[in-house]
Amino acid sequence: MSTASIIVAISSFALGTLLALMTIPVLVWLERRTAGLVQDRLGPNRTNIFGFRLGGVVQSFADVVKLVLKEEYYPSHIKSGKWLFMLAPIITFVAALLAFMVIPFADTLIIGDEHLRVQPLPIDFGVFWYLAVSSIGVIGVIFGGWLSHNKYSLLGAARAASMVVSYELPLGLSILAFIITYDTVDFNAMVTSQSELLFGFLPAWGIFMQPIASIILIITLFAETNRNPFTVAEGESEIVAGFMTEYSAMKFAMYFMAEYIAMNTASAVIITMIFGGYQLPYISTQMMLDNFTTLAICVMIAAPIVVTLFIKWMQKNNRVRPGMAQDKGREFETKFFTIAFIVMTIAIEFILLYLAFFSENLLAQSIYVTVIQIATFVVKLMIFNMFFILIRWTLPRFRYDQVQKLGWYYLLPLALLNIFVTALVVVGVSL
Amino acid sequence: MLEISIFSILALFMIGGALAMILNKQTLFSAFGFLLAMIALGGLFALLDSRFLAISQIMVAVGGVVVLSMLTILTVNAKEEALPDEPNKFKWVFFTSLLVLPFTLLLYKVLSTLPDYFTKGDSIDSKLIGKLLFSEWVLPFEIVSILLLAAMLGAIIIARDKVVYKGDKS
Repeated sequence: MSTASIIVAISSFALGTLLALMTIPVLVWLERRTAGLVQDRLGPNRTNIFGFRLGGVVQSFADVVKLVLKEEYYPSHIKSGKWLFMLAPIITFVAALLAFMVIPFADTLIIGDEHLRVQPLPIDFGVFWYLAVSSIGVIGVIFGGWLSHNKYSLLGAARAASMVVSYELPLGLSILAFIITYDTVDFNAMVTSQSELLFGFLPAWGIFMQPIASIILIITLFAETNRNPFTVAEGESEIVAGFMTEYSAMKFAMYFMAEYIAMNTASAVIITMIFGGYQLPYISTQMMLDNFTTLAICVMIAAPIVVTLFIKWMQKNNRVRPGMAQDKGREFETKFFTIAFIVMTIAIEFILLYLAFFSENLLAQSIYVTVIQIATFVVKLMIFNMFFILIRWTLPRFRYDQVQKLGWYYLLPLALLNIFVTALVVVGVSL
Repeated sequence: MLEISIFSILALFMIGGALAMILNKQTLFSAFGFLLAMIALGGLFALLDSRFLAISQIMVAVGGVVVLSMLTILTVNAKEEALPDEPNKFKWVFFTSLLVLPFTLLLYKVLSTLPDYFTKGDSIDSKLIGKLLFSEWVLPFEIVSILLLAAMLGAIIIARDKVVYKGDKS
């Protein structure tokens, strides 16, 4: 173990934890603001710390404070197994968190003759890890629903369990189609093989190589994460809140956060398997390293434009309605962030200028490429999270029998047929 | 030293989980014991540096078996008073384990004479396992699948029994 490998391992682990945990408040905020957008209202945007609102993200921290300080309430009718009742949300939360840890955030970093994975858990069968660990999550739901000792919770847990069982099959089968196509169970190798070209002009992303399997993957992952339109386990119009009915304060928050982490993980898996992961379309890692000067100049031109547009947008939108006299620090916030963004852009420009023209340091260049790939990954992740959120606020909930029918009658035979065709094509090509 | 302490913790979890599974009256706590034992077994495989086997263990035993058995428990939803009364359960468990003890010793002797594949230190490649499973070990693999098919048919016939009987009557 050299120093570089330890640093890379620790920083990629920290990055994974940050991406999993720090996106929760952002996603909650995004969810509420998008709901507001869809329903023609604003959503939370007032809470502030010293005048900083960050567009309303601070509201999520206020929510956390509220949930932590709330009274922990234990239903008195739960006689045995109180410890398991408390442990159940933690099982779901930890499973969701661990499942995220095998997603590669950038291509393998080559320092000297060492190949270092930018992946919190550097294993070469990430797909198996994801399938194994994400299936533990539903066990927490089952324990919670069963130990609550009421009909609503029991029904919710039974629905969640049967939905997961029936959607695990098409999920596994669609992933199997990707494994056959890419000939690997390694997430990073999957992304690398997606950087090639299909028919000479399309990027060889999974969505173009395996359209049917991609759609099945997206649908089943929606079901696995318990998101709309598959929220039969907590359908409040029929079974109050399903398995969460008896949960309050931080115990409820654990289930709540686990749902967001699971959503984040699902979008990470989707973009890694079918949308090219951390790769930009048409540009492979080797190409970026070879043409570093061009890349640096492109970023140097693009960064000020993007930042200027963002600052214009912020100055236009981050202000009080006309007619409201009080400002409550919004002008100060806008000013502060304008200066901060400008300083950051200038710093980036100088670093790039130095790296592109005055330095031949290959290590710094490859680290810079890694940073660009991480940024690409985060942007794609957020876009797909937005997709998840928009679907939730657009589609109504399926009925329970419709969910089961979709899983068993349509997705499962389709996935089986797809595997059959894929195997035929793969064997035919290799002959 | 570290290895031994991790091993003993995992072994404690395994034995405790297995005991909890047998001794608990409530079926869901038994399922929790089973879950603990299976995760600890996966941990033992990981301790032997065969990470692929550890993950397969968790995927099959936890993701498949435990979730399915829990689904059954939820569907049956047995009440506390409907569970069978077992006054001499601990005696039964004790004497049965005494009865099994010679076989356990025999098993221990057989296993300890086996060459230790695991302790060589190189982790097992997932591709190698796949190739071996479909070339050298294809016959046992197929036999296992026939066994599973037989079990499935048996379960269906047991579950269907009453329905078929009713159909004959009408």
